[in-house]
Amino acid sequence: MQSFISVSELNDYISGLLAADEFLSDFWMRGEISGFKFYRQSGHMYFTLKDQETAVSCVMFRSRNQGLKFDPEDGMEVLVRVYVSVYPKQGKYQVYVQEMQPYGRGGLFLQLEQLKKKLEAQGYFAPENKKSIPEVVNCVGIVTSQDGAALKDILRVIKQRHSSCQVMLVHSSVQGENAPFELAEGLKLINTHGQAQVIIIGRGGGSLEDLMAFNTEIVVRAIYESAIPVISAVGHEVDFSLADLAADLRAATPTQAASMAVPDISQLKRELEKYQQRLNRVLELRIGHYSETLDRLMLKRIWKEPHILINEKQRKVAEQQEQINRRLADLIQSHDHRCRLAIEALDNLSPLKVLQRGYAVVYKNEKILHKIEAAENGDYLKIILNDGKLEVQVMGKEMFFNEENEI
Amino acid sequence: MKKMKFEEALKGLEAIVDKLETGELDLEESIKLYEQGIDLSVYCQKQLAQAEGKIQRLIKKLDGDIQIVDME
Repeated sequence: MQSFISVSELNDYISGLLAADEFLSDFWMRGEISGFKFYRQSGHMYFTLKDQETAVSCVMFRSRNQGLKFDPEDGMEVLVRVYVSVYPKQGKYQVYVQEMQPYGRGGLFLQLEQLKKKLEAQGYFAPENKKSIPEVVNCVGIVTSQDGAALKDILRVIKQRHSSCQVMLVHSSVQGENAPFELAEGLKLINTHGQAQVIIIGRGGGSLEDLMAFNTEIVVRAIYESAIPVISAVGHEVDFSLADLAADLRAATPTQAASMAVPDISQLKRELEKYQQRLNRVLELRIGHYSETLDRLMLKRIWKEPHILINEKQRKVAEQQEQINRRLADLIQSHDHRCRLAIEALDNLSPLKVLQRGYAVVYKNEKILHKIEAAENGDYLKIILNDGKLEVQVMGKEMFFNEENEI
Repeated sequence: MKKMKFEEALKGLEAIVDKLETGELDLEESIKLYEQGIDLSVYCQKQLAQAEGKIQRLIKKLDGDIQIVDME
């Protein structure tokens, strides 16, 4: 009895062989699509990939094809990432498609996509690392081809907006083998020189292949590492270049890059003039106000006829003087009057006057004798009358006892 | 005047004009501010009115030095 295996065992065996092969488990392959079928119900895609000689069956499951950015169709050249396994029901091997991109550009896209992910992970595109463009730039660095239309556009716009702006150009090829290195060196050179306040790096539009220098790691790194802010201006036919992602500002065209780089100086001049006018006006107003006040003050009568100030004072002094004189006169008059009254009173009180009326003054020992008791019989007394004096001796005395004498 | 950026000078000028227009300043202060404003505006004017901008090429020489060549 010969030994045998079942069909299933064969397919399983071959399946195992294929699965164990490292290369077959993940590789990229190029081919043209034919017999494309999309099963709406399952969402899977079935097609054949062929080249001029041969063909192979492919399947792309729904889980893999949902993220496709294009619709595959017959005749389309594609690049697919696949693994190979056996389809047991028919006993044939089949290609299981994991990713699919259009070929041609597709190849470049693939490379780009991978580089982008890598650089992104290193922070080269992070918004927080972007530098801001100065408001007033007086010196622009440019890295581009000295023969390109891009340079002409940039210089024209700079001249229009800001004719006194300095330009530091570093010539670099913008496509071809040396372009990435030269572009990066250009950025470094302008940084070393150090005078430019912003750098424009770019070229006019072109195909994706033409722009590849701006998608290289060396250029991206140089842009990222530039201490001077960088504006990228890389064509405008594709969605992006990696240089655009790394730049501090992205312009769609070289023309736009130039307007972003330098200010419109005539506008700034107008703004400055406006401030100067306001500055002058405000001081003119202020001084005008003061001089008006001064004029008004100088118009006062006092400045024209200063003597009225003195006249007034003199008048006041005279008035006071007059008042004082009057008061003094009043005072004298009243004193005079009182004086006369007093003299008169005094006159009336004069002892002579009393003597005239018949009274006499009695002296004992040169002292006026007021009371009887002070005199004794035999005392010598002197009596003064109106017209002379008597020398007398007391012969007797008698005392009155009435109330008047009591006092 | 110390070296300053154009935009700083312009902002300074703006602040001075605002202060002069709205502030209750005495004459002496006003004149001092006015003089500062004039200085700033002259500085800004100079910044804006530089000589015709040159276009120069930077070339890295073999010894690493930078050579500057006028263009046009």
